[in-house]
Amino acid sequence: MKTAMELLRKHPLVSDYKINIHKKESYELFFVKGKLETVRCTDTCDQEVTVYADHGEFKGDSQFFVYPSTTPEQLEKLIDEAAHKALLINNKHYTLPENEQGEYRVDSNFDQYPPRELAALIAKHVFAANDVENASLNSVEIFINKHTETVQNSRNLCKTQVRYDAMVEAIPTYNGEKESVELYQQYNFSFFDENDVRREIGDKLREVKARYEAQKPDTAIDCPVVLSHKEASRIFFSILRDLNYASVYSHANLFKKGDLVQKDAQGDLISLTLSGESKGSTRSAKFDGDGLTLQPVCLVEKGKAVNYYGSNRFGQYLGEKPTGDMSCMIVEAGTADASMFENGPLLEIVSMSGLQVDFFNDYIGGEIRLAYYNDGEKILPVTGISVSGKLSQVLSCIRLSANVIAANGYTGPDKALLYGMKVF
Amino acid sequence: MQFSEFLSSRKALMKALCAALQEHYEYVSVLGVDVKAKSVRADRNSSSISAGRDTECGFVVKMSDGKAFFEYSLDDIQGDISALCAKMVAAFELNAELGCNTVGNVHLTDDPLTQEFSRECDLDAYTDDQLLSACKETCQMLLGKSEHLLNAIVSVGSLEVSKLFITRNRDLSQHYAWVNGMMAAVYRDHGKVVQSREGAYDHTMKKVLADLPTLCDKLLKKADALTRAKAITPGVYDVITDSSITGLIAHEAFGHGVEMDQFVKDRALAKEYVGKYVASPICNMRDGAAGVLSAASYFFDDDGVLAHDTQIIKDGILVTGISDLASATQLGLPPTGNGRRESSRRKAYARMTNTYFEKGNDKLEDMIASIKHGYMLFETNNGMEDPKNWAIQCVAEYGIEIVDGKLTDNYVSPVVMSGYVPDLLKSISMVSDDFKVIGSGSCGKGYKEWVRVSDGGPALKVKVKLG
Repeated sequence: MKTAMELLRKHPLVSDYKINIHKKESYELFFVKGKLETVRCTDTCDQEVTVYADHGEFKGDSQFFVYPSTTPEQLEKLIDEAAHKALLINNKHYTLPENEQGEYRVDSNFDQYPPRELAALIAKHVFAANDVENASLNSVEIFINKHTETVQNSRNLCKTQVRYDAMVEAIPTYNGEKESVELYQQYNFSFFDENDVRREIGDKLREVKARYEAQKPDTAIDCPVVLSHKEASRIFFSILRDLNYASVYSHANLFKKGDLVQKDAQGDLISLTLSGESKGSTRSAKFDGDGLTLQPVCLVEKGKAVNYYGSNRFGQYLGEKPTGDMSCMIVEAGTADASMFENGPLLEIVSMSGLQVDFFNDYIGGEIRLAYYNDGEKILPVTGISVSGKLSQVLSCIRLSANVIAANGYTGPDKALLYGMKVF
Repeated sequence: MQFSEFLSSRKALMKALCAALQEHYEYVSVLGVDVKAKSVRADRNSSSISAGRDTECGFVVKMSDGKAFFEYSLDDIQGDISALCAKMVAAFELNAELGCNTVGNVHLTDDPLTQEFSRECDLDAYTDDQLLSACKETCQMLLGKSEHLLNAIVSVGSLEVSKLFITRNRDLSQHYAWVNGMMAAVYRDHGKVVQSREGAYDHTMKKVLADLPTLCDKLLKKADALTRAKAITPGVYDVITDSSITGLIAHEAFGHGVEMDQFVKDRALAKEYVGKYVASPICNMRDGAAGVLSAASYFFDDDGVLAHDTQIIKDGILVTGISDLASATQLGLPPTGNGRRESSRRKAYARMTNTYFEKGNDKLEDMIASIKHGYMLFETNNGMEDPKNWAIQCVAEYGIEIVDGKLTDNYVSPVVMSGYVPDLLKSISMVSDDFKVIGSGSCGKGYKEWVRVSDGGPALKVKVKLG
């Protein structure tokens, strides 16, 4: 990229530039019914150049990719074309982050293992987690990735970070006499602990057995609904998306600073902070694509939107301090103790097709693949039902657990209790 | 528009690498991919011309030793081919435990074929300036039509694909394009903010640029209706699906369940239903890159298998599934040309292409007239598959209530359709005589591996649970 930078500096129409380099090395194992089917390796590097052209009161930008095969002559042409494209763009002016250098490593223990050994080790513990009779893992995919990301711009900014992540997609299956059932699991992490792997997979295998035993309820269910942290975090992520600078600037959001996210609140008040890093999370990063250092920012405090967050450009457009794009979330613990999640009647959802959270249409709902119905006396696994409700009403009386959990970028209540949901 | 010069320049090296690796593996293929994607966008306050998200350039080498498959993704093939070959072979050395625990018996066929494919397109006829001006003009036109618009977004995205596939016996190239246009409105009225979208798509830019401005009034009418939309009362209803929701059912409810890599993994209930009734006898469903000209129409798949037009359901009976080379080989069946990768950096899986129900004999107005109380559902929002247990969740952007055989002005949004796939498919009682395939979709497998797809069909009358 040295040649590219020289050419960029020399071009008369180029006011600024930014270069993003993403080197990715992966080792991947794919198992079918416990047997190794495919092994994959990737060794690739994306090099993207953004050219900025200031013209009059405007700033335009345009991007192109540079490949190992790109010659200096082609580079010169690409830069010239990008500069002319940028001149067509009449966006409001903004400045690039400047004068920062650094080399960072996002916390992970993956560098203690060669990737192929780590993948094999994870596979060993995934399959060893199966202690459920008649259960199997019909499909297991394991991805180990190392990312080396560099951002360099014309304003003396040059940062590099190394991040690792792993993804296990496992399909636990229970093979009973009447039928065979499965659940879907995607488990992401950046800190390897064999006990965590065994627990995650083992829990899902026990859940799939419960799905096999689950039946469609004979009678209508009308009771509060319990969400696990996986589904509850979808509600919080929907709030986050709404408070992004880009959404705010393009009028595509609902909440303004000072608005109550929970109106007429009678339950636990939501407090939500966004952060660049969270231990073990594959979403952790030291800086974003513009090179902005990521610092925690409180977005919702006691049910009220108090800040926005987001990228350099849109932050400046809104007259706000750019926080950088980040996605690790900390939600303050609630006040609901364990007994509130144990004393029925309750419908505790374990697995859904996908919880739909729609602030625009004031809707929350979805199809349940497995839930436990606690009628106050006994607990039965149920399936074949759906839930829906009015999101604003649900949020006004939501109860959050006092117990917190940390799971891939989400740190917060491990359960949420929803009132006013219709089960059908 | 021409086939990638870069890939042409690497053809001899691809063949050399293929030959070198054949010393170590019984099957070797090299796929070269050069995709030029572009996105041009304008809204009330800003605009952009950027490389589209599908932009990529690279290679993936696929090998088999008869016991398992091995794939290596890289940016370029150049320099010392022997050294590159040695690097790849070393990368796939397995420890003893894994080495003796492979699926086995995966002997891929390599039938001879040399062919060049291309589809004419007109991307070269439009400059960035022209595309940006078209987006800006349509955006301004839209904004000028309503004071309720908080923002309007208009974009066109083009995709120019070059792929070169080399094995010992096959030498295939293909070159084609696809264009998606989109306009969205952020609209406020009746104390409510809504977002609504319309799309245009074709293999030519000319048609997309011509179609987009004609959608403004429809978009605004819909946005206004959505501000008045209410929540639906959950229950089981008679429902008419528009082409988009018909396509969503074809895709999510059944299509994922007939991806035959799921058969290999015992992940699909459909495996046990081949040759049996799975739907109403008036129901016919197909998938294929060669079936219709749409977003997923290619000439050969990422395994070098020529595109097919596969009949999945005929008169309500499941005929076959769709496969990639690996799953077809493991099942002992001929592949159907459905081996697709998100990019050259990802694995090939059995994936849908253009998936749709065939048209029937009923008039849409008769279908609506046949319903005492129910809903007509419009526009896909999202869906989730469950191939093993045939549960469904399909989300429509909105529905319109039908009362006494007539569409009312009562909108509901969003609408989540759920239930059991065979119950839904067997409830199909009327199929309209019109037909449309929506060419702007993308699809994941589970929660990853995104590829471009289309789906659609006629209107269907079904009975289903809505909430």
